[in-house]
Amino acid sequence: MAFTFSTFIQQVINGLSLGSVYALIAVGYSLVYSILLFSNFAHGGFLVVGGYACYYLLTQWGYGVSVSMFGALIASGITAVITERLAYKPIRERTSLTLYLLIASMGVNIIIENLFVVTVGGRIRALPQNTFPTGVFSLWGGVTLSASDILSLVTAVIFLGLLQVFLNRTRWGLAIRAAACDIRTAGLMGVNVTFLISLVFFVAGVLAAVGGIFLSVRYSLYPQLGSITTKAFIAAVIGGLGSLPGAVVGSLILGLAEMLTAGFISSQMRDLVVYSLLVIMLLIRPAGFFGKEISEKI
Amino acid sequence: MPKILLEAQDIHVNYGAIQALAGFSLKLMENEIVSVIGANGAGKSTFMNALMGMVKVSKGDIFLDGYPLSSKNYKVVRSGLALVPEGRRVFAPLTVEENLRIGAFTRKETADLQEDYDWVFSLFPILKERLNQYAGTLSGGEQQMLAIARALMARPRVLLLDEPSLGLAPIIIREIFRELKRVNEQGVSILLVEQNARQALLLSHRAYVLQTGRLLKEGLSKDLLEDKDIKAAYLGQSA
Repeated sequence: MAFTFSTFIQQVINGLSLGSVYALIAVGYSLVYSILLFSNFAHGGFLVVGGYACYYLLTQWGYGVSVSMFGALIASGITAVITERLAYKPIRERTSLTLYLLIASMGVNIIIENLFVVTVGGRIRALPQNTFPTGVFSLWGGVTLSASDILSLVTAVIFLGLLQVFLNRTRWGLAIRAAACDIRTAGLMGVNVTFLISLVFFVAGVLAAVGGIFLSVRYSLYPQLGSITTKAFIAAVIGGLGSLPGAVVGSLILGLAEMLTAGFISSQMRDLVVYSLLVIMLLIRPAGFFGKEISEKI
Repeated sequence: MPKILLEAQDIHVNYGAIQALAGFSLKLMENEIVSVIGANGAGKSTFMNALMGMVKVSKGDIFLDGYPLSSKNYKVVRSGLALVPEGRRVFAPLTVEENLRIGAFTRKETADLQEDYDWVFSLFPILKERLNQYAGTLSGGEQQMLAIARALMARPRVLLLDEPSLGLAPIIIREIFRELKRVNEQGVSILLVEQNARQALLLSHRAYVLQTGRLLKEGLSKDLLEDKDIKAAYLGQSA
């Protein structure tokens, strides 16, 4: 494939659009990690709940796009809170070893995935054509910009901006930042830590649902869609687990790397490049770009 | 007759098979400073954590104003106890101002905190200069001052301090203890646990000596300072 400037621009646009969806998912991962210090692999499950909730609200119950999206965000947020209460809280109360939480989260992911397989079936679905604007704008030299690219970028910026405002300007946001530093001492400040953890899971679930809806628009909807969060997880690791700016930067790097590889080398090499990036990062800078040094975490 | 503010009765705490507290009782009167002294591992920190609802009390009761105190950490803070934890535990990546603001978490959202800021700055003026600095960049002494100020932002009725002198230079310790006396004079009761028995006894009105989870001795601090056994065991003087 020859290098052309227009291909480059096209793939940068595609990469940013994909990266912005990864960012929504990766930030949720990182937020949970920053508080409880484990990688919540059930995050992919929350995303699938969001995707299906949006699908059924739109197609079966006939709600409009905004109501369906809102319903999907709430459904996913509540799923995340229930998961924490049922699967993680009992473990947290018995041990401080986060490995058990990690294993439980993998189990929850399998449960959610298979709940959808047995109830609605494993077949691939697509959100109705007219759900989101489908226009395509032609820029110069054959470069195109689709409305859904713009929408996913704008939505990601809005949601990440809202999260930033929440964390930096509100009482509970401050409590979350304090808990990310030292959860026990946050409790000493009179913060109800149980509620705080539920709140963090709710926010992570909502962000996952936004990502899930955009992923089902971009690709399609199926019970294993959550496995794509592996990419968001890698993005969070590259950026530095527990760091929200890191998660965003890592996601954009990953989105760009994937799309530039697809544009200039081959689409099949995408995952190879992604995993190579992860390996190189872990060798050179295991804590990621913005991560705390490992010694600080212990 | 002074009123009992905080009362712990027959507190037992177990860590697995290890008994950290085996029936310790303590009273704190209004406007009083009480210290608990004892060697490393005597159960001092465990007692503080038991009061704060941070560890489970297997037997015993805690009363504030004669009413049972909640065993939930955040409710204890709301009812008027604030702990300055061992090792200061300031939120290093947050600014001094944010540390103080999170200290006031239990206050009403509409509460005017200006008076409280003025109060803690009058005690520790250095914090005002450091207001926008990250807490992690402060010196050890400044971090201890911040930890105390942060606890005071909750407007506690009882200020609990776990080893406030740990790792600090003597001149800083004296400064901090002087300010604690001022805090007490403004109506805050203080419960202090210390390995630095001399400083604690000099500041407090009464004291309890804790040894392997049990009460060894209690009395007026000035009497304990003169006590032969206490001198030998805790004040580093031969009898």
